[in-house]
Amino acid sequence: MSHIHVAVENLSFSYEKNEPILQNVSFFAGENDAIGIVGHNGVGKSTLLKLLVGLDLRFEGSIRVEEIPLEQNTLNKIREKIGYVFQDSDSQLFMTTVEEDVAFAPRNYGLPEAEVQRRVTAALEKVHIEHLRHKAIYKLSGGEKKLASIATILSMTPDVILMDEPSVALDPKNRRNLIHILNEFDHLKIIASHDLDFILDTCNRVILMNQGKIIADGDAKEILTNEKLLNENGLELPLSLYKSDN
Amino acid sequence: MSKINRAIYELQSIDATAKQNRWMNQIHPLVKLILTIYYIVLTVSFHKYDVEGLLGMCIYPMVVFIIGDLKWKDALYRLRIVLPLVCIVGIFNPFFDHRVVATFGSVQVWGGVCSMITLMLKGILTVFASYILIATTSIEGICYAFRLLHVPKIMVTQFLLIYRYITLLLTETKRITQAYALRAPGQKGIHYKVWGSLVGQLLLRSMDRADDVYESMCLRGFNGEFPFGKPKKSAGGDVAYFIFWVIVLFVIRTYPVFRLVGGLFV
Ligand SMILES: Nc1ncnc2c1ncn2[C@@H]1O[C@H](COP(=O)(O)OP(=O)(O)OP(=O)(O)O)[C@@H](O)[C@H]1O
Ligand SMILES: [Mg+2]
Repeated sequence: MSHIHVAVENLSFSYEKNEPILQNVSFFAGENDAIGIVGHNGVGKSTLLKLLVGLDLRFEGSIRVEEIPLEQNTLNKIREKIGYVFQDSDSQLFMTTVEEDVAFAPRNYGLPEAEVQRRVTAALEKVHIEHLRHKAIYKLSGGEKKLASIATILSMTPDVILMDEPSVALDPKNRRNLIHILNEFDHLKIIASHDLDFILDTCNRVILMNQGKIIADGDAKEILTNEKLLNENGLELPLSLYKSDN
Repeated sequence: MSKINRAIYELQSIDATAKQNRWMNQIHPLVKLILTIYYIVLTVSFHKYDVEGLLGMCIYPMVVFIIGDLKWKDALYRLRIVLPLVCIVGIFNPFFDHRVVATFGSVQVWGGVCSMITLMLKGILTVFASYILIATTSIEGICYAFRLLHVPKIMVTQFLLIYRYITLLLTETKRITQAYALRAPGQKGIHYKVWGSLVGQLLLRSMDRADDVYESMCLRGFNGEFPFGKPKKSAGGDVAYFIFWVIVLFVIRTYPVFRLVGGLFV
């Protein structure tokens, strides 16, 4: 694994004409950053993450991963380094059993079967779902699917992790465990979430978005404790901060 | 269980059977694929009046069902739609072919009857041979074997993705009909007025889902070649199994074994 940074410059994007979703978004994500992307529903968080892994290349502006511009012919090279967890686990999982899904990426990268098995075991152990190894995907619960999705990217041993609403559907224990996993991962990670407490626990930097633009970009604590700023952009203080106030 | 649920369940349970850790399932997929093709070719090649010879071919499914620990009940249930169809094929032969090919005492057997029976048998045996392959080999295994036989990768991947798409389509159908039923209590089926929009939704959603899945595959390094987890190296047992059946089936095909064996006792 190596350390990688991502540079986004003047990124604009729209799904349909005259309906801009992202407008002139620019930021630099350093190799050890842990960035939380926050904003109300439909603000374009998922869209931004999707663009970063090249799921849509119709954007304007530039995205560079380790100085390599994101384009059609650099896609494979860049994707090898990035692990992406979909907002909707059903989109992420497609094989019949958990084991096969988690093994998909390492097998694709041509690793020997013994190494594949080792990685699968390690990934499943990390998210505490070894017992689901041979279970059919369609029989998993919502939270189990989420954990399995996370395992599928852990087995890739990515250099960058992008997660879209990773804490949704997780019970408190698994949520805590995920925080632990993310904090252990000392490379670049970008997490989009409404769970501001989760962001507070895992990120040192926050990017606040509204109407397709970056409103604030800075220290996580500073932004997430700024009640006025949050309220103006359709968000509320993290729960943990409420409690300590009252 | 609703029909859709049952369809999903059946698909998954065949998958599950194929992935069990049994002796037959461990045999290299290539061995099973080639044997199946070989068996089908031999079976189909019997003469249309050769009922006796064809009966000999029943040995293969019978033995494999036993050693493979497959259940006849499951097989018949899963094949309940296909089997009657293959049986219908020759049903009119007795009306066309009145040539007498054998007589038992005073009973004359028409060629049409014989050819009807052989056609049915051929159909049934072929279906069972395919079933044996599917029930003991995962779809990935079969695809992997196809690749070893140099079937173009685009075709194999296509095949696999279609297979996946069926599950996806069924799951999506289930979701939509459930969501509908919950908001239309007491209504049986789906009102014809919303058929149009439901089917449209279904198409859009399953295409969307298929897109997502494809993206998810690409994000994890998919580049057109499916990474079929390589099965273990074919062991001596596999080769022995292969050679055994090649010889046995060939003998049954070439010699009227039953008549010879019967002759020993007469
Ligand atoms: N495939 C699509 N086609 C057209 N418009 C889309 C598509 N996907 C998303 N949008 C629109 O783009 C906007 C941003 O969507 P996005 O999914 O990025 O929001 P988000 O910030 O992730 O929201 P949430 O917090 O609800 O997940 C939304 O207004 C949505 O309606
Ligand atoms: Mg989103």
